Amino acid sequence: MTELANHRGETTPSPTEVQTPRPAFAPVLKERVGFSVSRVWIIAGNTLTEAVRQKVFNFFLIIGLIFIASASFFAQFTFGEQLKFIKDTCLGVISVISTLIAIVGTAQLLPSEVENRTIYTILAKPVRRIEFLLGKFLGSLSLLTISIAAMCLLFGAVLFIKEQGMIRELRQEFTQGMPASDMADLNQQIRQVPQETFDVNLVKAVLAELMKATLVAAITLLISTFSTSLVFNVAVPFMIFVAGMLRGAAAEVWADRRILMALLAVVPDFGFFSLADEINMGNVVPWSHVGQILVYGVARTVVIVFAAHLIFSRREI
Amino acid sequence: MDAIRTEDLTKKYELGWHKGRLLALDKLNLRVHEGEVYGLLGPNGSGKSTTLKLILDLILPTEGSAWVFDVPCRKVSSRLHVGFLPENPYFYRYLTGTETLEFFGKLCGMGGVGLRRRIEELLELVGLQHARNRRLGGYSKGMLQRIGLAQALIHDPKLLLLDEPTAGVDPIGSKDIRDLILRLKGMGKTVLLSSHLLAQVQDVCDRIGVLNLGQLIMEGDVKTLISDQRRLSITVQDLPEAARTRVEEAVRAAGATVISVDHPQTSLESLFLDALKRDQRGAGQHD
Repeated sequence: MTELANHRGETTPSPTEVQTPRPAFAPVLKERVGFSVSRVWIIAGNTLTEAVRQKVFNFFLIIGLIFIASASFFAQFTFGEQLKFIKDTCLGVISVISTLIAIVGTAQLLPSEVENRTIYTILAKPVRRIEFLLGKFLGSLSLLTISIAAMCLLFGAVLFIKEQGMIRELRQEFTQGMPASDMADLNQQIRQVPQETFDVNLVKAVLAELMKATLVAAITLLISTFSTSLVFNVAVPFMIFVAGMLRGAAAEVWADRRILMALLAVVPDFGFFSLADEINMGNVVPWSHVGQILVYGVARTVVIVFAAHLIFSRREI
Repeated sequence: MDAIRTEDLTKKYELGWHKGRLLALDKLNLRVHEGEVYGLLGPNGSGKSTTLKLILDLILPTEGSAWVFDVPCRKVSSRLHVGFLPENPYFYRYLTGTETLEFFGKLCGMGGVGLRRRIEELLELVGLQHARNRRLGGYSKGMLQRIGLAQALIHDPKLLLLDEPTAGVDPIGSKDIRDLILRLKGMGKTVLLSSHLLAQVQDVCDRIGVLNLGQLIMEGDVKTLISDQRRLSITVQDLPEAARTRVEEAVRAAGATVISVDHPQTSLESLFLDALKRDQRGAGQHD
C-alpha cells in the first residue's frame, strides 16, 4: 500500500491527522435497482472468459475438431458416399460435443461459485440473483455457440476441400478428351457438386443441435441450483438426455404403461431435434419444421430457467 | 440514520433430516451509527459471519429484520452503498488485478474513463500497481486480501463490511489494513469489522459488540469498556530516582495506593515493524 507504507513502523495516525482526498470519481448510483440487461451481459462475458481460460472446454472442442477434420480422410467411398459420410460424421460430432459442453460447462457454474465463494462478492454488490443466474446461463450458451460455430467452420472447410477435389477430378476427365455427348453430362455433374455439398438442410440441422444443447444446458442449470455435487449435476442431466433421446421409441414399446409414459412426458423429446437422418436420406427439411423445433426448445428452456430462478432466489449461500 | 439496524435478527440452520436446527444467531438487536467503526467480536462460530450474510441477504433470517441505511436488507437497493470483503476472499483466478476491478466496477454501473481512473486510485491505495496485469491465481494471500479491499471500495461505498480482514495476513499487511480502516473512517465511511483479533479491534474501533453462541453479550464504547476508572497511569521520561521516591510518597500522602512502578513495554508488533524498518534490505519486497 504505497501511501500507507510510508507510515510503516511509525505511530498509527489518527483519523484527523490523515489527509484523505475523496476519490476523483464518485459514481452516481440510482436508489432503485431494477433488472439490468447490462449486468447480465457483464456476468455472461465473465463466465465465457472463465470457460475459455480454464481450457477444459478447449479439450472437448479440440477433440471435436479432430474428428471433423479426420472425416475427410475416408477415401474408399464414391464421392456421394464420402459426402454422406462426412455430413453424417460431422453432424454426429457436433451433436455429441455440444451436448458434452452443455452438461459439463453448465454443471459446475453455480457449485464452483459457491464453493470458491466468488458468489459472495458478486451478490454483495447491487446484483439481482436472476441477473446472476441468467448471466451464468448466457455465458454457457455463448461458449456453446462459439464451439458449434468453430466446428461448423471446420465442417464447412472439409466440405469445401472435398468439393474442390471433386470438381478438379471431373475437370481432369473433361480435359482428357471425352465424347461431346458425355461432356454435357460431365458439365451437369460439375454444376451439381456444390449443390450436393452445401445443403441448406445442414444449417437447419445445426440450428436444431444448438437448440438441443441449449435445452440440455437449461436442465443442467436447474439441477445445479439445488445440488452441489458435480457428479450428480453431470449424471442427472445426462440420464435425462438419454431418456429424452429414447422417448420416441419408448412411447411405442410402453404405450400401455401409463405411469411410465407420464414420467416420460416430463422429459423433453430430444429425438425431435435430430435432423441428421432426414438429411442423409436426402429429404428436404421444411423451415416450418425447424420453426417448430425452435419454438418447442425455447418454450421448454424458458420454463426450466424460470424454475431454476425460483429455486436459486430462495437458496441460502 | 443508522448505517445498520437489526431487530430481533435470528438465524437457525437446518442440520438435516431429523437432526434439528442450529441456532446461529439469537434475537440480535444491533445499531451501527453512520461514520463509526464498529467491531463485531466473538470466537469462531459465534455468529459474526452469519450476521454479515444476513445483512447482505445471502441467507434468509428465521426471524427478525435488518436494514442498511433504513432500506430493508431483502431489497437489492440496500447493497447500493455497501462494500464487502469476505473472510479469505476468493476471486476469479484467471482474471488479472485490473480485470477483477473492472468486472466489479461494471457490476456497480461504472464504466469508461471514470472506472479506469478509480481502478488506478485503488491499485495505488492498496499497493498493487506492480501486480495489476498478473492473474489472481498467482497472488499471495495478502495480495488477495488487498485486491478484495479494492473491489469492496470500487464504487466508493458509504458502508464497508469487513469479515476477518487480516486473517492470514502478515503483521505488515495487517498494519496496512488497520491504517486503511482508519483512513476510511477519516473519509466518513462506516465500517463494520468482524474479527477475533482483539488488539487489532481495540486500535481501530469506536464501539464493539461481543457475540457468543449467537447472542450479543456485551456492547459499548471501546475506550469506556477497556478503561479502569479507579486506576491512573502516568508515563514519564528521564525521572531521577529521588524524584520518583517523592512522587510515590505524594501518592501515599493523598491516600492512594501505588500498585506498580515499572518500565512500559513496547508491543511485539512495534518491535517487529521497527526491526524491519531498520533492516532496509527487504524494503518494498513484501506483498
